[in-house]
Amino acid sequence: MIPKPAQALADLALKLATGIAPETASAYAQANTGMISALLLALAQDSERAAANRLDDIADMKHLFSDAARLFPSAAGADARAAFCADAPAGYRISELDAFHARGMVALIDLHAWSERHAPPLAQRIWDFLRAHTERNRFDVAAP
Amino acid sequence: MHPSLKPLGDRIIAYLAERWSLPVALATLEQIPGGASRETYRVRVSVAGETRGLIVRRDPKTSLIDTERALEYQTYEAVHGAGYPVPEPLFLEEDPRFLERPFSVMAEIPGCETQVAGVRADATEDRRERLGANMWMLLGELAALDIDALGVTRFMPVPQHAAARELEYWARVIETDAQHPQPVAMATIRWLREHLPPPSKRLALVHGDYRTGNFLFTPDDCVIRGVLDWEMAHIGDPLEDLAWSLDPLWCWPERERAGGLVSREAAIRFWEQASGFTVDRAAFRWWQVFASLKALAIWISSTEDFLNGETKEPILAMAGWIMTDRQNRILVDRLHPASAHVYTEPLA
Repeated sequence: MIPKPAQALADLALKLATGIAPETASAYAQANTGMISALLLALAQDSERAAANRLDDIADMKHLFSDAARLFPSAAGADARAAFCADAPAGYRISELDAFHARGMVALIDLHAWSERHAPPLAQRIWDFLRAHTERNRFDVAAP
Repeated sequence: MHPSLKPLGDRIIAYLAERWSLPVALATLEQIPGGASRETYRVRVSVAGETRGLIVRRDPKTSLIDTERALEYQTYEAVHGAGYPVPEPLFLEEDPRFLERPFSVMAEIPGCETQVAGVRADATEDRRERLGANMWMLLGELAALDIDALGVTRFMPVPQHAAARELEYWARVIETDAQHPQPVAMATIRWLREHLPPPSKRLALVHGDYRTGNFLFTPDDCVIRGVLDWEMAHIGDPLEDLAWSLDPLWCWPERERAGGLVSREAAIRFWEQASGFTVDRAAFRWWQVFASLKALAIWISSTEDFLNGETKEPILAMAGWIMTDRQNRILVDRLHPASAHVYTEPLA
């Protein structure tokens, strides 16, 4: 086992881009090896952070939902949000984190739609969350 | 020619020989990278003592963009007939007995490039400026073409409300293809529905994917010789193409120069000059947000294709991960009420 998968994937990406792509004969093959190399770099970045990012998102959503429950107890979807706050992922596999994360995101979409009409400051807080969510999941990869 | 392409080459020359009723010999065949919506091949053949360059575009098993090939081909015929720079369309073949899947054949435009990276990296402004002026003036000329005279109204629907139609179409794509919840896309769709502009005053032929990378230009003089990839062409609001061409994704990670070539305002001036129209800034704002949503919808659809389709093209995975990430950031940057505008310019 290689204990540092992110580093291993990044090294493989570099090998593909600089050691293998130049040896390919066609422009089509070169373009595709370039893309696969960029994707390996993206996966290297994501393999390291994926679980932490899902858990951070889940914690942020629970915080938002708790505040919404306190400030707007009758807002549509309150039961689903309360159930999400009381629950936890089935485990720490990425697929299990993703399933629970998706539940939170569905509830967030509903709360965002409601808050745009009834609670603009809450809507802005949800935009803050979306900005934090997209930034923490950004790929710092130069796509070919 | 790679040996694996030989059987395809044999079938292509057999087809051409039948269509031209002449003996045809294959000189070269290579697959061209970047054909996201069709498999694209450059073919050189000898026929009647001369060498001809052709482009063959075959339907893939799955595609980045689900499109209607006949409509695209008819669009090529219409704009080529009007003298607009596109490759000359030669044949559309929908019978699968020739190449297993439908395909079209176009004349190659020789001596051209599609990648603007070399021009973008140019130390002088001059070549960037020339290509940028050409790019947006050509788009302005497209906007000015009369759709009835062009003949596209014979095979394309004429929308009552172009913005509403486009929005609902791409919202459906997201709803159908999303593999997980899309809070940014959903918020954007609500914003677009809330701020829908009035029906367009003037309809035009919209290319649907007009951007750097989708045209052929001669690198020495930076003149565009052929606009490519009309698979998303439709009748609509000409501001749609202008907004799409100016999306930050096409100049990523730069922000200041549209397509990496000229400033956004310069691009708009070129477009206005060639089209004769003045950009309605309020409507344009809507089309800018829409352009970013449409792009996100395409990336979401690509993710679905990559996961569930037969074709495992890397470009589909690239769209699903890297492009989706960038487009989400662009949309948050556009619509956050207190946006710092890291990726986008403040909307007019």
